[in-house]
Amino acid sequence: MGKILCATRGGEASYRTQDATIALAKERGDEILFLYVVDIEFLQKTARAVRPDVVTAEMEKMGEFLLAMAQEQAQKRGVAANYVLRYGNLRRELTGAARELDVTMVVLGKPTGNESAFALADLESFAAKIESETRKEMRII
Amino acid sequence: MTEQNPKYLSLLAILILGLVLTLPHNPPAPAHAQEPLTDKKVSLVGRVTDPQGEPVRDAEIALLINGNRKVLLSTASQPDGAFVLDVPHEAVGDIETLTLEISRSHFQSQHWEIESDDVARLNQGESLRLPDLELARRITAGFWVATLTFVAILVIIALEKLHNTMAALLGVAIVLGTTFVGGAVNPDLFIFDFERALEYVNFDVIFLVMGMMIVIGVIEETGIFQWLAYQSYRLSGGRAWLLVTILMLITSVASALLDNVTTMLLMTPMTIQISIALGINPLSLLIPEVLASNIGGISTLIGTPTNILIGSYAGLTFTDFLTKLTPGVLLAQAALTVYVLIRYRAQFLVRGGGLSEELLERLRESGRITQPTKLRRSGIIFGVMLFFFVVGESIHLVPAVVAIIGAVAMLLWVAPDIESMLKVVDWTTLMFFISLFIVVGAIQEVGLISIIADAISRLVGGNLTAATLVLAWSAAFLSGIIANIPFTAAMLPVVSFLTRTIPGASSQVLFYALSVGSAMGGNSSLIGASANLVTAGIAEQAGYRITYREFFKAGMPAMIITVTIGTLWLLIRF
Repeated sequence: MGKILCATRGGEASYRTQDATIALAKERGDEILFLYVVDIEFLQKTARAVRPDVVTAEMEKMGEFLLAMAQEQAQKRGVAANYVLRYGNLRRELTGAARELDVTMVVLGKPTGNESAFALADLESFAAKIESETRKEMRII
Repeated sequence: MTEQNPKYLSLLAILILGLVLTLPHNPPAPAHAQEPLTDKKVSLVGRVTDPQGEPVRDAEIALLINGNRKVLLSTASQPDGAFVLDVPHEAVGDIETLTLEISRSHFQSQHWEIESDDVARLNQGESLRLPDLELARRITAGFWVATLTFVAILVIIALEKLHNTMAALLGVAIVLGTTFVGGAVNPDLFIFDFERALEYVNFDVIFLVMGMMIVIGVIEETGIFQWLAYQSYRLSGGRAWLLVTILMLITSVASALLDNVTTMLLMTPMTIQISIALGINPLSLLIPEVLASNIGGISTLIGTPTNILIGSYAGLTFTDFLTKLTPGVLLAQAALTVYVLIRYRAQFLVRGGGLSEELLERLRESGRITQPTKLRRSGIIFGVMLFFFVVGESIHLVPAVVAIIGAVAMLLWVAPDIESMLKVVDWTTLMFFISLFIVVGAIQEVGLISIIADAISRLVGGNLTAATLVLAWSAAFLSGIIANIPFTAAMLPVVSFLTRTIPGASSQVLFYALSVGSAMGGNSSLIGASANLVTAGIAEQAGYRITYREFFKAGMPAMIITVTIGTLWLLIRF
């Protein structure tokens, strides 16, 4: 039984990826590990005082909420799922998670609309890079 | 002794220094005022002004007698432009002609012949009070350096090529480097010296911002914002239209009392979870919230950074903003709420969600007060601070002092964890303000501000209504394109000139117009306010992207509606 790593957030694009990943896991008999990355880089855009630790704590709660929703969806459809929260840059943390965690496949959502984090060509190149670095199977769905 | 103590003492020392610097004091009297006047002393008293009637300080005034090119006496004008020249009594009686030679960087040097009747009076031992001596501006190479530097800072910040503080510091380096290096080669490159540059730094603003950073830093840890968001959800009973109305009211009030960036940073994650619980798009709650937060801050002196700048410069008190702008803000908020309910009506009619009990429990957990003791204590201190913000003016207690005392009280009684408090003080923001004051001082020094003031004055032709409309609307539209803090800082001397010269403007209505325009204008674009950017940043992290186009479509009509109401209120109130 393998384990699929699926980076997720909220929004329609992520929900579609979650659905597809759950279907894939069910077909293969794998379990899912959902990943949410807390990235507070956007705080650089403000000139006002903000506390990164307080904002990080709130982002953690939001991330866990989104992950718990994804986990619940998977469990409803009979797929075992767990989740993990990491901090920093999405690309770096996704690569790190693929390398460090005991996963057999990494799933990335195909970009749709304007809510996706990557453009398709960019995503394919990123997937190839992770695959070569981690020797883990990559799937864009 | 722990390692924290030296840092603790350092921060306290800075706060106490702030107290000393911001406490009201009487300026030292000029040296000549202390000299006893004798019967034999004959003085020439005058004042040097620029073409706008603003006093010109540090102008060199030389006295030439009987056509002799040799300077008999010289002095420099005081901060109010005044000067006194004491004519030696041995010269009195023999004077045929008397010439004043006035020179000052960024102005044309001028010779001023004293009229023969006045010379005769001098010879009889009478002192003379001269009419104001107006110096004409001179466009120097330094003018272009300072002007281009300021424009470059605005562009760099708008395009996010550099951090705000870095851009402003670069500006300081350019204007001072040009003065000291370029000025040594070509005197026309002189802008101002370092001592003069520091005089433009408004320490009232610096210490008010720093004090409020500490106060907000303590309050934001308590979970009050998240609790308010969750209570709104409970109170609304799942009705999205009611929820958005309550959330807009809360963010508006919180922004007026604390600041809108903190409010949105802490309300946004909770709002996203609540909208998912209701099954509606989070943007239909987040965009109205941030629009309301940008407007709510206008009600008080501490609600927006631009109000802090305006209040400190124009001497407007907490009560001034509260009593003169709050009714207009409430009207604008009401109109904004109606607009939001119409714009997002389709979303607000959606009945979805249906979270599991486990997820609802998570939501409840996120909406709990995390530190009740800290909240109680910080609430007491903040309540006392608000009291003194309101009554302080009657005992000459400036807001910066209230903020610093409040911050010290927070440190001593509520949150003595100095490590986290040091993180709360955003030194880069304070450096941004200091650097900005110096760069704006540079464009003021070289005369750019005078040129802008003159142009606006000609445009409005002494009509107060026209001036109010021009200021509010230009500030509103420009705030959507360029950073409103540097813009407001640069406009303050312009507004000051217009306030002095336009009949009826002494009510300070033009400063309020600048406040309304610069804050409400932030709603017109995603880059118009820091609160917009942090809200978009968190929403994107949750998978809901707020694009420039999306924000513009919602924000621009909101800006037009609210600025219209805001300016109408100003015209009625003043």
